[in-house]
Amino acid sequence: MAISETTRTGLREIADRYPSARSALLPMLHLVQSEENEITVEGINVCAEVLGITPAEVTAVASFYTMYKRRPVGKHHIGICTNTLCGLLGGDAVWDALSAELGVGPNEPTPDGEFFLERIECQAACTHAPVMTVDWEFMDDVTPRGACEVIEKLRRGETVRSTRGPVIRDFDATEHTLAFPLDGLADAPSVDSKMLAGLTIAKQRGMKAP
Amino acid sequence: MTITTNDSQVAVPSDTVTVIIDGVAVAVPKGTLVIRAAELLGIEIPRFCDHPLLDPVAACRACLIEVEGMPKPQPACAQTVSDGMVIRTQQSSEMARLAQEGVMEFLLLNHPLDCPVCDKGGECPLQNQAMSVGRPESRFTEDKRTFPKPINVSAQILLDRERCVSCARCTRFAEQIAGDPMLELLERGAQQQVGTAEDQPFDSYFSGNTIQICPVGALTSAAYRFRSRPFDLVSVPTTCEHCASGCSLRTDYRREVVTRRLAWDSPEVNEEWNCDKGRFAFVYQTEGRIEYPLIRENGELRVASWPEAIDVAARGLAEASSHAVLVGGRSTVEDAYAYARFARAALRTDDIDFRARALSDEEHAFLASLVAGSPVSVSYEKLESAPIVLLVSFEPEDESPIVFLRLRKAARAGTRVVSVGAVRSKGSEKVAAEMVWCAPGDEAAALASLPADILAALAHSGAVIMVGERAALSAGALSAVAALADRTGAALAWVPRRAGERGALDAGAIAGLLPGGRPLSDAQARAEVSELWGVDSLPHPGASGDALLARLGTVEAAVVGGVELADYPQDVRAALERVGFIVSLENHHSAVTELASVVLPVAVVTEKAGTFLDWEGRPRPFTRVLRDALTMPDAQVLGMIADAMDRPVGPSDVNVLRAELGTLGPWRGARLEAPRVPVGPRRDGLVLASWRQLLDSGVLQEGEPHLAATARPTVVMVSDATARRLGLTETATLHGPAGIVTLPVEIADVAESVVWVPMNSPGCHIYRDLGARPGDIIRVTAGGAL
Repeated sequence: MAISETTRTGLREIADRYPSARSALLPMLHLVQSEENEITVEGINVCAEVLGITPAEVTAVASFYTMYKRRPVGKHHIGICTNTLCGLLGGDAVWDALSAELGVGPNEPTPDGEFFLERIECQAACTHAPVMTVDWEFMDDVTPRGACEVIEKLRRGETVRSTRGPVIRDFDATEHTLAFPLDGLADAPSVDSKMLAGLTIAKQRGMKAP
Repeated sequence: MTITTNDSQVAVPSDTVTVIIDGVAVAVPKGTLVIRAAELLGIEIPRFCDHPLLDPVAACRACLIEVEGMPKPQPACAQTVSDGMVIRTQQSSEMARLAQEGVMEFLLLNHPLDCPVCDKGGECPLQNQAMSVGRPESRFTEDKRTFPKPINVSAQILLDRERCVSCARCTRFAEQIAGDPMLELLERGAQQQVGTAEDQPFDSYFSGNTIQICPVGALTSAAYRFRSRPFDLVSVPTTCEHCASGCSLRTDYRREVVTRRLAWDSPEVNEEWNCDKGRFAFVYQTEGRIEYPLIRENGELRVASWPEAIDVAARGLAEASSHAVLVGGRSTVEDAYAYARFARAALRTDDIDFRARALSDEEHAFLASLVAGSPVSVSYEKLESAPIVLLVSFEPEDESPIVFLRLRKAARAGTRVVSVGAVRSKGSEKVAAEMVWCAPGDEAAALASLPADILAALAHSGAVIMVGERAALSAGALSAVAALADRTGAALAWVPRRAGERGALDAGAIAGLLPGGRPLSDAQARAEVSELWGVDSLPHPGASGDALLARLGTVEAAVVGGVELADYPQDVRAALERVGFIVSLENHHSAVTELASVVLPVAVVTEKAGTFLDWEGRPRPFTRVLRDALTMPDAQVLGMIADAMDRPVGPSDVNVLRAELGTLGPWRGARLEAPRVPVGPRRDGLVLASWRQLLDSGVLQEGEPHLAATARPTVVMVSDATARRLGLTETATLHGPAGIVTLPVEIADVAESVVWVPMNSPGCHIYRDLGARPGDIIRVTAGGAL
């Protein structure tokens, strides 16, 4: 696949958003991923050209952050948090179930290119542990069976919604939103009463940080 | 190591602070790093990432020390001093000692124990500091991290990733010093490693420096890897022979064979850096050498004894009634002086020139009036503090790479660099040069109409104008440069490309000029020199430059030393073919030895002592490296010929030659007039621009394929608009009087209606292949097979 003229225009548009063009690299790499499904050498070179930096400097950034993939992800990216809290509360079991269901290990795509499985680090969603992400949308309080059902629905092409609302599209679409967060799709409700419970109690009791 | 101090800071007491390190008080300038302050007291704090010429990064943590009042250990390489600070190093602090020991243990966790086969073993900061501040034994029993090894970060530079301690010296060098950030720290955590982009190797002209500053053995060169152990090498400080930058080098040899060359400390010139040509191009010194004197008999060269060859040479020269002397631009000052003396005192001719390249009479006048015998006026240090540096016909990165590094340092600190030329090159970008656009040949016109702000800046104290040797190709350019310097008061520097040119000029190896810039036409100057040489008279001013080359076809004998005929734009070979008797002093076979009646092998730089005058005019003496070599320097061979001709010219020992030059000293009398060549006519059409790239087909780079593989590709550079107008896409074909050249097209920042190609690179030698010079009108067509 080659970087399209539309994407090139988008890359220049992102670069123009920042007073120091180099700051634009992170969203630009997401845009590359939205078209290429991974960070390709061509994508690195185009970013370097747009920003006037070297491909090595782009590579350094692209290889540092784990959200930039250097192999094709496929249609859906499935992340399972296996850090301490999620892991203890069932994340490990979810991982085992999905790994068995899809027949792949960490950072591996399924042969049909439908799913890519990754053990992810803390998503700051411990309130709803264990959490799974589908194309970086939250699936809160997930169970092994619930996780497998999500996979089944996606396989059948049924509409799947994040537990926080948004419809799951695919990995490339999410990457596009990450590049252009002002597309109106990034404003799903992200706070609920469970998350605010502690704060509510603290307020009721007039508690203050020492 | 080089410490650049700011003299004004040292001089003003209010700008110093006093700190106490291990109980000893020391006053240092504000802003000094703790590690530097400790060095002043002779206290050595371990370090890997710290380098005085690179910005602090505190990456390796080896230099942790205790600062009173701070709860945790601080990195001495990034901590600046403050007044009254009490610092305790590992010498007096248990906290610092333990911290350093702990860091060393961490750094060694994944470091292989392959010191016995590592190039760095024996001269390795990690090895040394592990001994001095590390734990005697490791507590790490698990498997060490390994990588496939080595990988090429360029054709020349190899990387063993498991040896790396992530100090970021190489990546910081690439970015900060060379301006080539093609080497980066990639990946993260335990996988963090130095690397390049997938399809862009670390092809920097300065890449070899990363090997030298790597504090472990992670970076090695394809040329030197596994060739020798440091403790088996004998090291001799030398001077680089590749260009007029004048780098100090350290030449290492074993069993009379040079194994490697390193940049050596010379804060006033090359600081601690050199270029890859200077570092790696020395195979020519050993391979393909002419070993024995040769004389031509029945059309063929045959080996002869030295006495026989000298005899034949002397007889041939003595019998001839007219002579010419060509000296390549690579001679040492002493050898060039010997040629100058030999020509006037033994051959009694003034027909001599050291300029084996495009040249002009205007240049001769420029050099005679403003350069020859002048003391250092523009120095590297002066470049660094200049408010503005105007470059004319000069591409520092390719033509004098250490000037480029210093200009880059200056530009990073705020010096304004302006380049008068046709190409905003990669080198120009790295010094943030502003362009005064002009096609080659139009320099004089461009200088005559410089923007007012540049003229005003040139009038400021410390302003510098640097003009390259290519200005000789542009009628009126050197006259305009001289006039501009005169008008603005800016200091003027002429920067030749070759190492020996400035020295040969000052030694008098050019018609009309005696040593020290003495005009041959001046009675006082003639008297001084003839007295020293013990001769009754000196010849009348002779021919140089084009006149000399034109006269070549009519002289009966010629002495030619170290000249490549292909370096002249005109057909010198045809002229030399008509010369009845040629004596060639050479170390390799060349187009000249093909025509020579006598070939006398001479020493290369490692086999003799000598001096190069760098572009500043600064003497850069060097001693002999290889003591057992049987070769003789040019001066000695010329002395033997003179003796055999019964026209002795005096001793040929390098020390005597130096002393003679010293006795004469620079000329203090009236100088020749500066040239006043008018601006040339404007031309219509597509103009050829060209210069020699640092790494190209130069003969001194032969035999080093890894270095050659890091050279820039041979391309045609044109602007987008010119490419469109000519319909150039993939390839372009240049049509010159001598032939055609087809090369890939690269769209670049080039003046309109100008087409640039390299002067002497694989696939494009403009004199030979095109028969064209920079400034000529050239026809270019789209397409053509590569």
